[in-house]
Amino acid sequence: MTLFAGEEALDKAMRKFMRARPRHAAPVSHDFPLISNLEAWLNIALIKQYHENMPVEASRNMVLGLLRNLGLEKIAEKRNPALGEEERFYVMLLRAAMVERAAIVIDRPFKMLPQLKNFHAVLMALKTIDGLYASCDIYDYDWMKDKYGALCR
Amino acid sequence: MSIPEKIGNYISGRIQALARMIFFAVKVFRRVMTPATYNSATRTVLINQIYFTSVQILPVFLLVSAVVGSLFIGVVFQALKNLGLVSLLGNVLMGLIVTELSPFFTVLLITLRSGAAINAEIAAMQVNREIKALEVFRIDIIDYLLAPRVVNGIISVVLLSFLFSIVLMTSGILFSRVIFGISTDVYVNILLNSTNFSDIVVALLKCAAFGFFITLIPIYSGLQATHELTSIPIVVSRGMVRVFAAILVIEVLSLLIRLL
Repeated sequence: MTLFAGEEALDKAMRKFMRARPRHAAPVSHDFPLISNLEAWLNIALIKQYHENMPVEASRNMVLGLLRNLGLEKIAEKRNPALGEEERFYVMLLRAAMVERAAIVIDRPFKMLPQLKNFHAVLMALKTIDGLYASCDIYDYDWMKDKYGALCR
Repeated sequence: MSIPEKIGNYISGRIQALARMIFFAVKVFRRVMTPATYNSATRTVLINQIYFTSVQILPVFLLVSAVVGSLFIGVVFQALKNLGLVSLLGNVLMGLIVTELSPFFTVLLITLRSGAAINAEIAAMQVNREIKALEVFRIDIIDYLLAPRVVNGIISVVLLSFLFSIVLMTSGILFSRVIFGISTDVYVNILLNSTNFSDIVVALLKCAAFGFFITLIPIYSGLQATHELTSIPIVVSRGMVRVFAAILVIEVLSLLIRLL
């Protein structure tokens, strides 16, 4: 994980990250929301359908399996406005993981999940989808250090 | 700045805006014609769009076509009888209804129902930064948002216009029997004898042009929204004015082509 002194430095690093990995950068960020007129499963499946021409049925089954692994299969048909903060975050995480050899970067997770007490739940989710991405980085501010616990030590 | 300079600036700005839109239209047309555009995601959008535009509208469309069409046919047939122009029945049916009225009526209905919706949808996506999110995941906006909607526009206008013509021709059977005492066989014969291949081609091209522009212009306008919510009504109204201007231009151009 990488911590920054302020918003400007973080935004700059985020842009640099995206430029350095034009084909594999997969952001999970408040700045790149889910598509409102698509169901949660379709937001995730869209990446595979578009880039790999994966058939609708196959991509749907794959996404439903992933949501089931995270205990979120009930949200598959919900759209963005109907999702809770945590549900939305995990859908964004799965969407990012759909990118080929995904270099996931989670941008200020506590901005998306203000109610989250510690980062353990997110780490567990990342472990569950371990095989789907090549790397994962977390960008946040210096003063959020305590929230990440052992991850920063 | 002097008044001539202001006028010059205004005209120059308008010409540049028109040139940008034409350039964009050419780019979209080329992409629509490229088979690689149609992957699993774009095909899904295309099917959904055809359902929203052509299938959901069917009950209302058929009802309005039957009511407006029957009224129109009744009035036109009565006028032909009063003016002693019964011999022109076939020409009026094919030349006026199939090539002029059907595409125009269809495009108006689809523009009012779907054009405004597409414009608002794209503007809302722009405001919510969803367009930016698609770009970040390397999903091409033209491939994913424009191509399926534009193809749907072309298919929907052509098919619904054809359906409108069928409804009018069918009501024509009833009115020709009541007003002129013509049997169905004779009516069909008159229609077939008046059918002109070039008129059908012009009508099809006109429908395709209508379909292309009534979806392209609202999307183009929607993409010009800023990140402020207040920009949505501005781009929607601007887009709809442009669409109606485009409909008039296409209508005039098709008339000119037929006259030449």
